[in-house]
Amino acid sequence: MSKDNKKTSLRYRLLWPIRNEKWQPITIPVASILFSFIVAAIVILLLGKNPIQAFYNLFQGAGIFPKATYAGYKSMLTDFLSLLDAMTPLVFASLAVAVALRAGLFNIGVSGQMLFSGFIATIIVGYSGLDAFVAKPLVLLIGMIAGGLMGGLVGWLKYKFNIHEVVTTIMLNYIAQYVISFFIHNYYIDPVSRQSKYITEAARLTLVNFEFANLKMDIPLGFILAIAVAIFVKFLLDKTVVGFEIKAVGSNRDAAKYTGIKVGSNMILAMIISGGLAGLAGVTYYLGDFASIQPKVLTSLGFDSIAVALLGNSHPIGIIFSSFLISIIDQGSTYMSSQAGIRQEIASVIIGLILLFSACGAYVKHKVSRLKEKEVDRKDSES
Amino acid sequence: MSEYIVEMKHITKRFPGIVANDDVSIGIKKGEIFALLGENGAGKSTLMSMLSGMYEPDEGEIYIRGEKVQISSPNHAANLNIGMVHQHFKLVEDYTITENIILGIEPIKKFAGLFPYVGIRGANRKIEELSKKFGLEVDPTKKIADLTVSMQQRVEILKVLYREAEILIFDEPTAVLTPQEIDFLLAIIEGLRNSGKTIILITHKLEEIKRVADRCAVLNKGKLIDVLDVETTSVNLMAQLMVGREVNFESEKTPAQFKEEVLKVEQLTVKNEDGFEVVKDVSFTIHSGEIFAIAGVADNGQVEIADAIAGLIKASGGKIFLNGQDITNDSIRNRTESGISYIPEDRQKFGLFLDFDLSTNLGSKQYYKKPFSNKGILNKQEFDQFGTQLIEKYDIRSGQGIKTQVRSMSGGNQQKAIIAREIELQSPLMIFVQPTRGVDIGAIENIHRMMIEQRDQGKAILLVSLELDEIMNVADTIGVIYNGQLQKVASSDSLTTNEVGEYMMGAKHE
Ligand SMILES: Nc1ncnc2c1ncn2[C@@H]1O[C@H](COP(=O)(O)OP(=O)(O)OP(=O)(O)O)[C@@H](O)[C@H]1O
Ligand SMILES: [Mg+2]
Repeated sequence: MSKDNKKTSLRYRLLWPIRNEKWQPITIPVASILFSFIVAAIVILLLGKNPIQAFYNLFQGAGIFPKATYAGYKSMLTDFLSLLDAMTPLVFASLAVAVALRAGLFNIGVSGQMLFSGFIATIIVGYSGLDAFVAKPLVLLIGMIAGGLMGGLVGWLKYKFNIHEVVTTIMLNYIAQYVISFFIHNYYIDPVSRQSKYITEAARLTLVNFEFANLKMDIPLGFILAIAVAIFVKFLLDKTVVGFEIKAVGSNRDAAKYTGIKVGSNMILAMIISGGLAGLAGVTYYLGDFASIQPKVLTSLGFDSIAVALLGNSHPIGIIFSSFLISIIDQGSTYMSSQAGIRQEIASVIIGLILLFSACGAYVKHKVSRLKEKEVDRKDSES
Repeated sequence: MSEYIVEMKHITKRFPGIVANDDVSIGIKKGEIFALLGENGAGKSTLMSMLSGMYEPDEGEIYIRGEKVQISSPNHAANLNIGMVHQHFKLVEDYTITENIILGIEPIKKFAGLFPYVGIRGANRKIEELSKKFGLEVDPTKKIADLTVSMQQRVEILKVLYREAEILIFDEPTAVLTPQEIDFLLAIIEGLRNSGKTIILITHKLEEIKRVADRCAVLNKGKLIDVLDVETTSVNLMAQLMVGREVNFESEKTPAQFKEEVLKVEQLTVKNEDGFEVVKDVSFTIHSGEIFAIAGVADNGQVEIADAIAGLIKASGGKIFLNGQDITNDSIRNRTESGISYIPEDRQKFGLFLDFDLSTNLGSKQYYKKPFSNKGILNKQEFDQFGTQLIEKYDIRSGQGIKTQVRSMSGGNQQKAIIAREIELQSPLMIFVQPTRGVDIGAIENIHRMMIEQRDQGKAILLVSLELDEIMNVADTIGVIYNGQLQKVASSDSLTTNEVGEYMMGAKHE
């Protein structure tokens, strides 16, 4: 009996980091992340490689740790800026998913909304020759409006005809993908790259090859905006009447209606905001690093963002961190594979594991509270 | 072996901020109907949840048939032949009755000895047999979403019987039923006992205890006060023990003083989703200083009248005037602003955001205006202050005060929260639909007193209730509804309970 006691106590003690309910929204994702790295380490070990080395390379590649050597004009700083550049659209896209989720809606059309807004901004501003000071804000504005319109359409279809948003967003994904690809092929194609023609530097949201201190770096102009927007979204959801209504609709539609909240308009509004955020993701993606659109392809980033939003507990600040982490693993994978000789796909495995474990969060929470009750029990009966 | 089939010894259960059960010991004999009585939040549901495996006690021991057990899950409870019919049903809306009943213990058959499938047909048959045996007629192939509340309850009962429960726990089974359905259910419960089952019955209605129970335990604030022999204890004593003071069953009431007309309903017609007229050509008025009650058997259109006045459903004909203003086509929000408070029938579906905390729920009808928000920015402090005030004033009990998640509150206290929120709106017209459902007798007395107080302050009150006693007790004017039509409108003094009953059944009309 006493042996049994000790065993459970040990298990209980092992769980100390995630016992406190107040901190669980943070500790559980962190624990799932650690756990996924452990599992990935085992996989790497089985492949006969050194996991510590591999993870170190991963972080080196992402510009968190210094590499042994750098090519000309490159340094840890340039790597890190590339990381932020890749992270920027992911933050926007995950915020888009989170806002919709809070309203009880599942926006899986982020990719389509990104493509649409990226395309519209490209053809209106990208080839216009406008001055950078006009072009860049205009790109952001157009991205937001285009995405917002597309999101709003989804909300409106739901409100007016009660069509489920998952259906409409999937359909709109296809429509955007093929219609836009038609236009690119017919009007904007670059015969060499088989993509849309490159946009002007002035319209880009990434300053490419910016020379400073003998380095050539890519400066993601949208990054600061992404952080600011995340904070704004948090403020909107937690502190404003608009946020209250959106959350009320997401929490209990019948009660929201009874309270006098206009459920339909709030769903439309939430989808406009969500779409607008997806639009920002679109322009920072297509008019940032890439400066061009590949026809017939929807970026997987729009789907990854669902998982990133969940990992961040649909919480704007959580999303900044989860995007940061996922981007690190994504960005570092190339360097890891070249250095450690591990296939790049291992990075996807790690991301997959993190998402899998964090998806189990609710179960873990339940288990922990059960264990906690038992522990209290035993202490009482012992004393 | 002891004489008890269930024994709970020195049970203590704590939740954050509250001791829900404090050193409670009870023993239940095989084949008896054992009632649990206590105020809202006294810990009745919690105590029984430990028997049904939802929670485990922090301290104390449970013996079933003389053997010490640790009931760690509802499945484990089922293995011990314990089943609970919960206060708030736990059914999957889109599934059929059979699917709900066999969920988790599906009978697996093999097709051609190889491919497993769920033997629905066999299950259907078994359920039909069970329902015949215990008089709980249902059509096993129907979906839950299409059932009335009392039918859903039958499914819950069949669910535990299907799992071969010998010890059946009913948590406030009659709170959601009409008087006729209650009679029926109590007969079923007695039938179950007569077939040898042991019944634990949680209820706030003393007459039900008096009618069917053998013994009765009284809880107060988590502690066991006494276990009584029902036969030899008066209803008054039970009430007194439970509330800790003497209870007035009849509300004291000064004669009503009607002033100006507040609500005027003219030839109101309402259609339900299927286009069927559920309210037909109904007209009445309510004055300031008047409690107007609509009496009727359930589903005769009374809830739809309330919904139509509050704007939750559209009137298909007729007009509604509030203080002389036509509000027939106004939005819900505008009606609230023009002066309507509404306590809805279904508190969990409409009345509350279960995942929000108590202060947010208490402020949820006023969040959009000063002082709860200013220029679109919420003022959390105001919510907290307001919440703290209301908890005090309306005696809303919960574990962590205004920060309590409403889902974790006891059923009766959820109801009190809604009542507090709506009365505080100070609207000229207050609609109370089934306001005392699931509320303990002490609180019922309070709610009735508050209604009369509001009336005396010049409010117009529309009361919709299935309980004739309640209506006879507080109403100044009674409108009896049958089949969507008002059969009779008269001052309550001029009507006897019997007369109202006859109008309700449609046996008598003008
Ligand atoms: N899961 C929970 N978490 C926190 N507190 C809880 C939980 N369940 C119950 N409580 C608290 O425990 C107390 C007892 O609740 P319980 O539901 O047992 O009351 P009850 O006697 O059934 O009341 P009612 O008649 O209103 O249904 C209440 O104060 C309630 O707020
Ligand atoms: Mg209860």
